Amino acid sequence: MTAAQIRFLALVRREVTRFLKIKRQTLGAPMLETFLYISVFGAALGSRIDKLHGVDYVVFIVPGLIMMAWAMNAFSNNSSSILQQKFQRAIDDQLSSPASPLELLLAFTFGGFLRGLIVATITFCAAAILVEIPVEHVLVLVPSLFLVGFFFAQLGVLVGVRAEQFDDVSFYQTFLLTPLIFLGGVFYSAQLLPEPFQTLTYFDPVYYMIGLVRYGFLGYSDTSVELSLLFLTAAALALFTMNFRLFARGYKLRA
Amino acid sequence: MAAALEIADLVKRYPTGTEALKGVSLEIGAGEFFGLLGPNGAGKSTLIHCTTGLAQPTAGDIRVFGHDAVHHYAEARLAVGLAPQDLNLDWFLTCEETLDYHGGYFGMPRRERKQRATELLDAFSLTAKKDDRTRTLSGGMKRRLILARALMHRPRLLILDEPTAGVDVELRLELWHYVQRINAEGTTILLTTHYLEEAEQLCDRIAFINDGRIVAQGSSRELADTYGVASLEDAYLELVGRKELSRAHILGEAP
Repeated sequence: MTAAQIRFLALVRREVTRFLKIKRQTLGAPMLETFLYISVFGAALGSRIDKLHGVDYVVFIVPGLIMMAWAMNAFSNNSSSILQQKFQRAIDDQLSSPASPLELLLAFTFGGFLRGLIVATITFCAAAILVEIPVEHVLVLVPSLFLVGFFFAQLGVLVGVRAEQFDDVSFYQTFLLTPLIFLGGVFYSAQLLPEPFQTLTYFDPVYYMIGLVRYGFLGYSDTSVELSLLFLTAAALALFTMNFRLFARGYKLRA
Repeated sequence: MAAALEIADLVKRYPTGTEALKGVSLEIGAGEFFGLLGPNGAGKSTLIHCTTGLAQPTAGDIRVFGHDAVHHYAEARLAVGLAPQDLNLDWFLTCEETLDYHGGYFGMPRRERKQRATELLDAFSLTAKKDDRTRTLSGGMKRRLILARALMHRPRLLILDEPTAGVDVELRLELWHYVQRINAEGTTILLTTHYLEEAEQLCDRIAFINDGRIVAQGSSRELADTYGVASLEDAYLELVGRKELSRAHILGEAP
């Protein structure tokens, strides 16, 4: 193994160690949330809702829940990890190492990405025990979920770098991310909404992400799969480029 | 042989407009024990941050053993170990993990990391605490762990930013003995401190920094002669414009 590989692995291991050491909060809580969503929306509410686009309601919401689990965990892991390290100045140990801005950015990205992957996998397994989940287009599903995870990992990095206090992180999570995800159609089909809410949903980027993941699982989507993939790839790359520039400049990291 | 640290015309202007360093030039020879003294806000920590990558210099050049420390910094960073003023340990990690990850950031292979961490935990009387999380350590233990972390990758230039601030006499003497030993073994040391007796006891040469400029440098004796006073303490008081506080002045022996 080269020195650069050892370094990168150490940076990623640090991120993984962090969320595994507080797994009740980082893995346990999201699992409980998923269980509650499936129980309340799927079992209780779903029994009163007929099929949506040809599938049971509880099955209809599972792709959105898996996507939401990955997105929320990738975001919150990176935003809080970076802010905590900035707050304690523990990040100085990494910043004064030979690590390049790209290595640092990728390591933080992987931390959130992996936590999102673990929670999304657990969500999938838990849901698969309760209901039968089809996987219609695995070649769309896997890249879509990876892109969603990467996008929200980047968003978490951006917020973590910019944040100066814990309130900044919770602000974005509570007032931006949660509404976008919930109003993006995790629990319903946008086509069921009255105007102007249906049109407004089309301006929510998360709507297209859920569309992609739902297409991968159920073979059904309200949106154009090709355009959504293109949009998501472009957005993820744009965020990555922006973050790379911030890391290279040392924006709010180095004095 | 290249100097351990060469700083030429270093300027650091913060975004607030504050000019913390106003064209500092300094050279520290390989194997020297060099002290940097100055009042709060003189620019000591900024100089250290610029050298270790925690601050981006506005202008000027920094070389560590001949390697560029500002732009193509990888080689320079490998040669530097920093024990910062703040107790900036990662709360999520144990003492052993702190050393292990640090070694990883500097590309040390696993077996070497394990061996070096064991050696340093023993040297700093932290073996019994190796599995304890850093936040549970006492202030003195944190200070020892920070010094052990700085030494983990066997730096050729060790930077100690007020290493004995707030520690008891016993630990201070212990740290003095340790750094004197590693200096005798060939490690160059740059020390900033507010304890003049510490600088006098440990350092071969001392520089006074004030208002972002190096105003005098030499041995303790040479500095006293420069200011035409009897001791380093009196020279320092001359520097900060508080000669009325000198012992000779208080005892009425001043000329």
